Amino acid sequence: MNEVLAHLHDVSIGYDTPLIEGINVEISEGDVIAILGPSGIGKTTLLRTISGLIRPLSGEIELAIPSRGGLGYIPQRLGLVGNLSVRANVSMGARVRTSRWWPAVFPLPKEFEEDISKAMRHLGIEDIADQPVRILSGGQQRRVATARTVAQKPKLVLADEFLGELDDDNVEVVMRTVHATIRAQNSALIMVEHHEKLAKEVANRIWRIKDGKLIEEVVS
Amino acid sequence: MGIVTAISLLALYIFNDMVGDWGRLSGGWENLVIFFNESLWPPDWSILEAQSYPVCEQEVELFCSVAWLGMVETIKIAFVATALGFVFALPLSVLAANNLSPLWMAIPARVILAAMRSLPSIIWAVLFMIIFDVGTLAGIFAMTFYTVGYLGKLQFESMEGLKNAPLEAAKAMGMTRAETAWHIALPESANHLLSHLMFMFEYNVRHGTVIGLVGAGGIGLYINTYLKLTQYDKVVALLLVVFIVVVLIDFLSMAIRSTVTEEGDVRRPSWSTIFLPASISSKYHTTPMKTSSSKEDE
Ligand SMILES: Nc1ncnc2c1ncn2[C@@H]1O[C@H](COP(=O)(O)OP(=O)(O)OP(=O)(O)O)[C@@H](O)[C@H]1O
Ligand SMILES: [Mg+2]
Repeated sequence: MNEVLAHLHDVSIGYDTPLIEGINVEISEGDVIAILGPSGIGKTTLLRTISGLIRPLSGEIELAIPSRGGLGYIPQRLGLVGNLSVRANVSMGARVRTSRWWPAVFPLPKEFEEDISKAMRHLGIEDIADQPVRILSGGQQRRVATARTVAQKPKLVLADEFLGELDDDNVEVVMRTVHATIRAQNSALIMVEHHEKLAKEVANRIWRIKDGKLIEEVVS
Repeated sequence: MGIVTAISLLALYIFNDMVGDWGRLSGGWENLVIFFNESLWPPDWSILEAQSYPVCEQEVELFCSVAWLGMVETIKIAFVATALGFVFALPLSVLAANNLSPLWMAIPARVILAAMRSLPSIIWAVLFMIIFDVGTLAGIFAMTFYTVGYLGKLQFESMEGLKNAPLEAAKAMGMTRAETAWHIALPESANHLLSHLMFMFEYNVRHGTVIGLVGAGGIGLYINTYLKLTQYDKVVALLLVVFIVVVLIDFLSMAIRSTVTEEGDVRRPSWSTIFLPASISSKYHTTPMKTSSSKEDE
């Protein structure tokens, strides 16, 4: 039985003025949801609201996931630490699986190292594990950000256009790895994707944002 | 541009208003020239020779000189105070940065930092002299306090300039403030933190001369003595020594910061670009050295 991970009750989102109003949706384990809509419509704002970074203008969001480590977020700008190595960036995902009292300056417990290496291997970045992220190409950086989330094993992944800048082979690799992660944890994925064809290939639900409304489309 | 012009004109106006009578300056220049020729120049380099007492036991005479002994003491004080100040300032600046901490933490942390830096180091020195008596300990404490206040402000301001995306990812993931500070804020602002640290060290070396004036040891103590004895040519020589040390620290700072750059390796300056003017070094190095710390807009 798939549990409900998040529930949005009559939610309006935006900054000063509403961008999207009257959102009523449930997100359950196993869902792969693609958000479609033109630039500037509020897709990123929706992800930031669900992740708790900003409050909804009205309505209520219920999350049934742990506040530490339960939610993985791949921002549109990736949010990597340029001065740190690939490995250090990926490790941050694993770090939120420790107790919040595990001191920040301590190295991670041994059992996490395997997950970190595995995430890097799956995404083909183990060769550059010791390089600083700032010198990597856009596509490589995207895979580092994905590996960070894979090593985190979250219950709900929010990914903002994380397939951009990747060539076809790498889209394949990244999607396969993320799918595998979600299946293993029985998690859910919400991704913003500009390419409609790709979105329909990988997602089992589509949210289309249009005229300030969120419309759920049936995927054939 | 308009604002800059307006502010400059305003400053000139206020300046003129405050001076009022420019006539008082006439004759001042000749006085200065006479003073310079009779008392200041040439500098008395006997400060580089061994003191007559205590008897010098070093092989090199310089190591027993007033300049050397004073400068080494000053650098030691500045080093300890800067390092201690840095360590205490870091956690305070994380609490004071409004993108890392909520306002109810940020405001008290800022008040503490402001309080520590609103007293000039020389006042701190007097206070600590009352507690610890005259000597190096009072000097170190005074300098550390001031350093915390000053460095803390520079640090939290550069942390507030950090890119938002890594902090948002961290927050969404549920990283603690300590984790975010240690794994994101610190490495992302490392270049700025290092440059502030080196600036503070240099500042403290220069201020060692001031703190020495209140009996806290170091080269300032000698400067003070020669001032009292009106041996201004020795004072000038000692000030020149301080100047040379400050310039050396500046080079050291550039070299250290070059190990942490924000962008790719292209920006890493080589030794020749540090020590030679750009026009000369560019003949040997084809990659131009760009200014660091230019940030993408977020
Ligand atoms: N921090 C902010 N404060 C105020 N307005 C903002 C802020 N961030 C974004 N906006 C505005 O909200 C609107 C929606 O932005 P959002 O980033 O959600 O769009 P998007 O659908 O993700 O677009 P894109 O596909 O180009 O990424 C835009 O008009 C933007 O200017
Ligand atoms: Mg967006």
